[in-house]
Amino acid sequence: MDDIKTSPLDPPYDFAGYGSTRRRFPREPLVPLAREALDTPGPLVPKGFVRGGDNDLTRAGKGLPLGERMALAGRVLDADGRPVRRSLVEIWQANASGRYDHPGDNHDAPLDPNFHGIGRTLTDDEGRYGFVTIKPGSYPWQNHPFAWRPAHIHFSLLGNAPIQRLVTQMYFPGDPLLPIDPIFNSVPDEAARQRMVSTLALETGIEGVMLGFHFDIVLAGARSTAFGL
Amino acid sequence: MQRTPSQTIGPFFHEGLRWPDAGKIHFAEAGKRIVITGRVIDGTGEPVGDAMMEMWQRSPSGSEPAPASGESPPHGFGRLETAKDGGFRIETSLPGGALPYLDVSIFARGLLKALRTRVYLADEAAVRRDPTLASIAASPRVRTLVATPAGDGAYRWDVRLQGDGETVFFAF
Repeated sequence: MDDIKTSPLDPPYDFAGYGSTRRRFPREPLVPLAREALDTPGPLVPKGFVRGGDNDLTRAGKGLPLGERMALAGRVLDADGRPVRRSLVEIWQANASGRYDHPGDNHDAPLDPNFHGIGRTLTDDEGRYGFVTIKPGSYPWQNHPFAWRPAHIHFSLLGNAPIQRLVTQMYFPGDPLLPIDPIFNSVPDEAARQRMVSTLALETGIEGVMLGFHFDIVLAGARSTAFGL
Repeated sequence: MQRTPSQTIGPFFHEGLRWPDAGKIHFAEAGKRIVITGRVIDGTGEPVGDAMMEMWQRSPSGSEPAPASGESPPHGFGRLETAKDGGFRIETSLPGGALPYLDVSIFARGLLKALRTRVYLADEAAVRRDPTLASIAASPRVRTLVATPAGDGAYRWDVRLQGDGETVFFAF
């Protein structure tokens, strides 16, 4: 059997710099799982599950939200470079002042009635996706003294087989908080960390209207999707 | 190409990832309805009240679930948020096959990568014979993967992330 080893690309479960791991990481060794167990196709998300406009986070209110409007586009690919087609991409993020529209967020920064920070879309046949949103703000957290998260957008990718399921975060180029963020730096490999950083792509935006950022996401290769799904 | 690394889901995912019919798994075909309830707790026994769980399973006839249509979430797949007390409730159909089980993934603040486990709806002796569990077939830990029947299609299954009685998690 072709067993899957824990990938060094991912962060360890036990990472002292991120305090919340302390009581939640498994201490027992992980049990190897045959690759086939995670390689069956699915789940298949019906096209109607996503509505037109679900990928424009700036249209959730009566007016435009505060902040720098931005277009975000990229492709979802597998490790062999094939597009991950018709696959669900979900994002959530803080508003421009660094506040989530979430009852658990008690950061003393204003909510924006025109921004909820939630979007979803399906990739097209080339694996492409796109969102319109605003650049999220940084916010403090309680992990260590003077801890502030670098600006980030949370991404959830269903992929087209369980082996491809990924939850990650997208960061912004040149953010001075990146070198001191324990969550970003929990990924041991520098090149792997850089794959979580978007690139400025002005032509992805609209002249005089919104910034553009590009972010490709690479999921595990799924044998079951060799001919596309 | 190299994969994009995993990051924690964080504490603020709820509205962003909430689906209609949370915790309910649907299929194109009818089956024996079952309910699995339990709690997720951490290494000190405290509830994990901010986790997301995802379940993926075979259909009642044992096949891969037929595609859903319209605006429905996918068949054979479910997603839920744990309650403040760490509690969860999965409403589904008994998966087909000789050894029915659900694949379960757990995402939470403090988990930099999802944890993958399984809940088997079968006798412990049969579960121990599953080739997937060959490396721990004789371990008392296998019990952590077996739901306890409570009658009328109800099952109890708790998840312990760390410490005594720690649930078996899979490498992937």
